Amino acid sequence: MKELFPAKQVMGFVFSLILTAVALLVHFTDMSFSFGMTILLITAFVQAFLQLVVFMHAGESKDGKSIYTTIFYGAIIAIVTVFGSLLILLWDM
Amino acid sequence: MKIDHSQPLEYSTDQNQLNILGFWIFLGAEIMLFATLFTAYFTLEGRTGTGPTPAEIFEITPVLIETLVLLTSSFTIGLGVHAMRLGRKNAMITFFTTTLLLGLVFLGVEIYEFMHYYHVGATYQTSAFTAALLTTLGTHGAHVTLGLFWGTFIILQVKKRGLTPETANKSFIFSLYWHFLDVVWIFIFSFIYLKGMM
Amino acid sequence: MDFLQRFAIPHPSPAIYASMVAIALVSIAIVAGLTYYKKWGYLWTEWLTTVDHKKIGIMYLISALLMLFRGGADAIMMRAQLATPEAKLLDAQHYNEIFTTHGVVMIIFMAMPFIFAFMNLIVPLQIGARDVAFPRLNALSFWLFFAGAMLFNISFVVGGSPDAGWTSYFPLAGNDFSTSVGTNYYMLAIQISGIGSLMTGINMCTTILKMRAPGMTLMKMPMFTWSAFIANVIIIFAFPVLTVALIMGTTDRLFGTNFFTTGNGGMDMLWANFFWVWGHPEVYILILPAFGLYSEIISTFSGRNLYGYKSMVASMVLISLLSFLVWTHHFFTMGQGALTNSIFSVTTMAIAVPTGVKIFNWLFTLWKGKIRFTVPMLYSIGFIPLFTIGGVTGVMLAMSAADYQYHNTMFLVAHFHNAIIPGVVFAMLAGLTYYWPKFFGFMLNEKIGKSTFWLLSIGFILAFFPMYITGLDGQARRMYTYSESTGFGALNMVSFVGAALMAIGFVTIVWNVYYSFKHSSRDIGSDPWDARSLEWATHTPVPVYNFAKVPQIRSSEAFWDAKKHGHQLFTGKQEEIHMPNNSGVPFIMGMIFFVCGFSFVFALWIPAVVSLIGIFVCMGLRSFEKDHGYHISVKEVEETEKLLGGASK
Repeated sequence: MKELFPAKQVMGFVFSLILTAVALLVHFTDMSFSFGMTILLITAFVQAFLQLVVFMHAGESKDGKSIYTTIFYGAIIAIVTVFGSLLILLWDM
Repeated sequence: MKIDHSQPLEYSTDQNQLNILGFWIFLGAEIMLFATLFTAYFTLEGRTGTGPTPAEIFEITPVLIETLVLLTSSFTIGLGVHAMRLGRKNAMITFFTTTLLLGLVFLGVEIYEFMHYYHVGATYQTSAFTAALLTTLGTHGAHVTLGLFWGTFIILQVKKRGLTPETANKSFIFSLYWHFLDVVWIFIFSFIYLKGMM
Repeated sequence: MDFLQRFAIPHPSPAIYASMVAIALVSIAIVAGLTYYKKWGYLWTEWLTTVDHKKIGIMYLISALLMLFRGGADAIMMRAQLATPEAKLLDAQHYNEIFTTHGVVMIIFMAMPFIFAFMNLIVPLQIGARDVAFPRLNALSFWLFFAGAMLFNISFVVGGSPDAGWTSYFPLAGNDFSTSVGTNYYMLAIQISGIGSLMTGINMCTTILKMRAPGMTLMKMPMFTWSAFIANVIIIFAFPVLTVALIMGTTDRLFGTNFFTTGNGGMDMLWANFFWVWGHPEVYILILPAFGLYSEIISTFSGRNLYGYKSMVASMVLISLLSFLVWTHHFFTMGQGALTNSIFSVTTMAIAVPTGVKIFNWLFTLWKGKIRFTVPMLYSIGFIPLFTIGGVTGVMLAMSAADYQYHNTMFLVAHFHNAIIPGVVFAMLAGLTYYWPKFFGFMLNEKIGKSTFWLLSIGFILAFFPMYITGLDGQARRMYTYSESTGFGALNMVSFVGAALMAIGFVTIVWNVYYSFKHSSRDIGSDPWDARSLEWATHTPVPVYNFAKVPQIRSSEAFWDAKKHGHQLFTGKQEEIHMPNNSGVPFIMGMIFFVCGFSFVFALWIPAVVSLIGIFVCMGLRSFEKDHGYHISVKEVEETEKLLGGASK
């Protein structure tokens, strides 16, 4: 039975629960908007990275480099699109 | 078909490796799909017209249940892949089935959530905000629904054909899909719900 | 009757009725011809069900050429209408429909399939692979493109064409101002073919990353494959944006949502934003493979290695990133602040740098080369100065303050045609002439080819350079007429003459194909141009398995070095070859997508839902299918090789 629950994945799960709990602080305590957003940004991206490495085994095969490049390239363009659009349509309109 | 036994079953043929890399690239495209939805949501979030604002309609309880259920399902499917690599077919099927059941619970709660929005007057046509919200959540929900069918098909195939390079490959790719949906949900949870209720 | 009423054309004219009759007659003729010559079986087994990248490439090619003529017909009608002031050839509504369909057809249904044709035909051969990574998905991509193209093209005889411009800006494209189903066609046809493009992107990237012949590292890939790779990377990250924007546009039109409306919080500018987040990278999706073709052609006919291989690659990688950072320059006048416009001005000008690097690399490749002025080379040499002018006017447009003067004028129209025609269209025609012998077994006639080039080049200059002047003088784009007092008449007449010359040029291509088919020699060997990269190392016509033995690569010009330095490309014993099975499912899925799209256009919910279920059933069946392909035995391979001209070199 024990071999079915490897320590790495159990730890990963516990850590993701902790991250969720930290993110929830934003809702249940009183803090400024920018501080709350900082917490959310950190917890969300750490959580995503955790899934990528621990659960999705992104780097395990010899295509690991291609896979990480794809995901990071996608993430960069995604961030540029989100913030660029917000700049155009909201912040500098 | 040449099978390389030094690799885990899901990587053991050339075609399997192609499938896995191809699916990762597809996930790259999915990142942009959801990024576009988020862009629309953030832009339209404050444009509620005559309809309700985010803070007026969001409820923390169903969101929390959805988050915990989906996080757990991501964990169980990870264990499923681990069991598969140990060659434990029955354990793997159990973990995959658990995952799909959790997915079903998630979907049930999401349907409840949508009904709630409908009752408080936040329908698809109400405002730009509600349209963006429901499209973003709906796209994620549609992915989960598709995943439920797909996962069921894969469990049936593993049951019938055993753990072959083909079925192992499909199962692994399905696990990537499921984890990815979990990641998307984390962003929805953080930047739609928690930000909206802040 | 009420039911049928919705399929009627809202704004008919004799020309449209004539087209209806023509379409009906051509369809009947095709069906009758296929039946008479008993070709249905051949069509089904050899083409409709094929997963062979070469045949799919040829189908893309034929579709692209057909669409070139459709879009060209639109163009000549527009130029004819504008040739004289206050002409009555077309009214405002028809003119709107025509410039809309011209844009969409040329970009989505002509240029895209043209580059996909070359990617399909060339990339697996250049990297020494037997097919693409997912042959069946490749077939599905084609049939989705085909379904989208057909859906878009029936719009003008069933229900009415889209008329809100190829950019379909809201609120003009919304229900209030575009009341016919035309814009529904736009949304759904582009959606369907866009999904196909995205799948091609994934397929090609995987192929190039994983299926290169042994020894071919990334920095030894031929330049066309590099350009195809970068273009496909851009496709993967750009097309999902279009998918989402089109879904939102569709729901706005069909389900009354408020994404891009002007009420209840909707934001019409969001559409423009999304459209160009996709639209600008799309420009580079088209131009990069064109650059790749020019690189192949220029180095072959200069008899030299491509100058600055590494800087070529670096500039393309840089372009792929920068192409996502410039989209605002399409709407500098939308009202965002000076900060935003300045940022995007700078990024836009920055993208001229890597492009300039490429121009100089081509020039240095030509330098001291033994240049052979073949038809493909003529296009490439014509491309360099003409495209540079297009680039320079692009930098003029990139200055956001000055853009207020150029915006929405003929100056802009002249600029992007100046970039796209010498950039993409010339490249496609050069590639067509260059690769024609590889896939059809005979050369296109050089003499006719050269006259085509001169007709197109002179026609192009006459047609578009006057627009720079009228544009600066204030002639607006998308206006169906102008008054005599504007003084635009003479220059517009020159444009019309140019457009007519181009039309003649395009007809000579058809004549060339016919003439060469009749008269060209079939005895051309496998390397008629004395070329440099791997696609010329196999037989002509290319056998189904591409290469009998997997080539061993040592340099980026593998075939040239094999010819000149005696490298052995094909070593080892013949082994049996594994190939994918044909399948009719992609074709059937394409047709279901067509029905689905059509049903959504007209809001016919029952067939829409049924066909959606049909699509998912096809996907489900695929999940359960056991498809292991088939093997070609050593004996069969050896026999084929013997038939095609001795042992493979």
